[in-house]
Amino acid sequence: VLRRRVGEAILVSGEVEIEVLEISRSRVKLGIRAPFKVSVVRRETLPVARENQLASDLVADLVTNQGKEGLGELVRLLQQPAAAREPAFPPDTGESAD
Amino acid sequence: MLNLAVPETVMPVRLHSPWLGEIEWEPVSELCFPHGLPGFEDRKRLVPVEIPSQRPLIYLQSADKESVCFLTLPVLTVNPAFELRLSEDDRSLLGLDCIDLPPAVRGRASPNFGNDILCLALLVPSGRTVKTNLDAPIVVNLHTGLGIQAVAPEPRAGSFRLAQNGEWERVC
Repeated sequence: VLRRRVGEAILVSGEVEIEVLEISRSRVKLGIRAPFKVSVVRRETLPVARENQLASDLVADLVTNQGKEGLGELVRLLQQPAAAREPAFPPDTGESAD
Repeated sequence: MLNLAVPETVMPVRLHSPWLGEIEWEPVSELCFPHGLPGFEDRKRLVPVEIPSQRPLIYLQSADKESVCFLTLPVLTVNPAFELRLSEDDRSLLGLDCIDLPPAVRGRASPNFGNDILCLALLVPSGRTVKTNLDAPIVVNLHTGLGIQAVAPEPRAGSFRLAQNGEWERVC
């Protein structure tokens, strides 16, 4: 653990500099200087990056592997009018099953 | 002396997409993602393509790499109650606080879908159907064409899966 004040910085491996720019009640603003080859991302984007890789495979899968049927089925589901869809739960008729 | 100041004609951009075939667009139609998308940081130019017979699907075709293409839907078709929350950083990246924008847009805590911003849910394969993570929508400032994928620091809006009856079901 390192304690820093506004304007102070830390160095990682001598080439990545992280400076505390601003501190508010619940947030810290950091400035990061790093070589171009170093990827700097927020941690929460990592699972999204994995999802995006899968997302980029979807078109290929629908068009190449499943052919027009795959894409057609997806479009059919999306265009199905809400009223024609099966209700998620049976309507309440007011009658008791007992 | 020759006057070289001839009117500039904007040439349409053409690309052969393996998935959409030959497509052509005006440069002004391109969406600019300054940081790309997570996992696709180098793909900074995306073109929205809508095929009338496939509405409400919207393809996001990379203008940089033909093979990269995403399938998306307007978020409200997945969850009509969806509320977009943008961090200060995301608002800044989108240019929503830019002084060139109408004051009403600058002052809004939550910009209007369709008028100010386009908000799309990215579709991911899930078994024989698709799902989408509404905590990471693609958001585009329609006034500037700037886009980001707005990843929420903590799950809130949730993920939804398209069921076989056409309904979207919330998943963990």
